Amino acid sequence: MQNVWKVIADSFPVLMYRGLTMTIPLTLISFAIALVIAIIVALVQFSKIPVLREICRFYIWVIRGTPLLVQLYVIFFGLPSVGVNVEAFPAAVLVFSINEGAYAAETIRGALESVPAGQMEAGRCVGMNYGQIMWHVIMPQTFRTAFPALGNELISMVKDTSLAANITVTEMFFQAQRIAGRTYQTMALYLEVAVIYLLFSTLISLLQRFGEKKLGAYGRQ
Amino acid sequence: MSLLSIKNIQKSFDGVEVLKGISFDVNKGDVVSILGPSGSGKTTLLRCINFLENADSGQMVFDKAEYDLKEISKKQILSIQKKTGFVFQNYNLFRNKNVLDNVTLGLTSARKVPRDAADRKAMDMLDRVGMADYAKQYPSQLSGGQQQRVAIARALATDPEIIYFDEPTSALDPQLTGEVLTVMRQLASDGMTMLVVTHEMSFARDVSNRVIFMDKGVVAESGTPEEFFNNPKEERTREFLRMEENAR
Ligand SMILES: Nc1ncnc2c1ncn2[C@@H]1O[C@H](COP(=O)(O)OP(=O)(O)OP(=O)(O)O)[C@@H](O)[C@H]1O
Ligand SMILES: [Mg+2]
Repeated sequence: MQNVWKVIADSFPVLMYRGLTMTIPLTLISFAIALVIAIIVALVQFSKIPVLREICRFYIWVIRGTPLLVQLYVIFFGLPSVGVNVEAFPAAVLVFSINEGAYAAETIRGALESVPAGQMEAGRCVGMNYGQIMWHVIMPQTFRTAFPALGNELISMVKDTSLAANITVTEMFFQAQRIAGRTYQTMALYLEVAVIYLLFSTLISLLQRFGEKKLGAYGRQ
Repeated sequence: MSLLSIKNIQKSFDGVEVLKGISFDVNKGDVVSILGPSGSGKTTLLRCINFLENADSGQMVFDKAEYDLKEISKKQILSIQKKTGFVFQNYNLFRNKNVLDNVTLGLTSARKVPRDAADRKAMDMLDRVGMADYAKQYPSQLSGGQQQRVAIARALATDPEIIYFDEPTSALDPQLTGEVLTVMRQLASDGMTMLVVTHEMSFARDVSNRVIFMDKGVVAESGTPEEFFNNPKEERTREFLRMEENAR
């Protein structure tokens, strides 16, 4: 067994490198796509076309009712067995964005519903069309309401990306497992990687708090 | 020729007839008060006329164009809404916009008026309602009366042919009611065409030049304020006026 402090010191830059080049990009790319999915899915649920509404409800029901790890396996190990090959990283992005999309869609739908109907009506009464009212009035209020919850979901997502190790994505936790296996310093390595995740989450929650202040509360304290 | 002419508007909610064929005309410069007991359909009428609600049937002539309310298109609705203003009972200011932006938004977004011209216009309107000093405040920082005055400035900014008011003072305590009524009196004397649902008998009597009395979804009586208040023809009008008298 190698000296524990030396292992920690040697592995830190390696883990950090994986964190910054894999964990963080995986999180941010997936979250950005998830937000786009979520806004569309949330808006479609207010549309007048029942079929589209039902499709969205079905999507949310399936994704929220099945484990993230199982979803990763279905895409990465399941698809090749029926002839569709997906690389590990794109597969992870696909699963994380579809998964988070379902949760964020519900967050955004709730925030949309909390905007009083009078806001839309007031917009129509000054001659604005649907798109203008959504853009200038409804979406800003929705986003302000959803922001804290979305921040929390982003934090969850950073941690959940460690599941991608299971489908051979060489992200931070995958790297930690490899070093642990080589050096036998399992406790040290897993604690170390935990601390780095903690660092990332803390950073995001600081940004979240800063963002909330920046967005303001429209004069309310 | 009248600016707005309504013929036989009908509206039901879940099979219950709320408007049972309402007709009336509003001429340019008119200030028309709509009175009536609670639940008689006054709000529903205004909402149908400004397309916040779809009427089941009826015709409308507005600004020389004729529309069938059953077949009117979204485009036609939008073009009418660009020429009308609406003041709500609970103000409905845009919560995410400050006072100035509340007034400019209809200009900059829906009419593509350049920012500086819109700002100037908005400041003029805010000045008119005595709210110019509050341009940078948010609605949540204002009293009800102040919010309602901003809402009136917002309606004025787009140079509407007519402004609809739905009980603009009934959410306010008496002190704040006064400041809003003063602004509305001023508008009336400036020649603004107004259709006002109100419980303020003094406004109906002193400011409007015509009164429409609604009861159970129909126009029960209409006429000049003198006729209406001093010499009502209908028994239900007399009863309504007695009740209003007692309520004060
Ligand atoms: N969206 C709706 N769905 C179902 N019923 C409605 C709806 N809006 C209004 N109504 C009903 O229509 C009737 C007329 O309502 P409306 O609000 O037009 O009356 P009003 O004359 O404005 O009364 P008030 O003086 O209390 O404001 C009421 O019985 C009300 O319950
Ligand atoms: Mg009403």
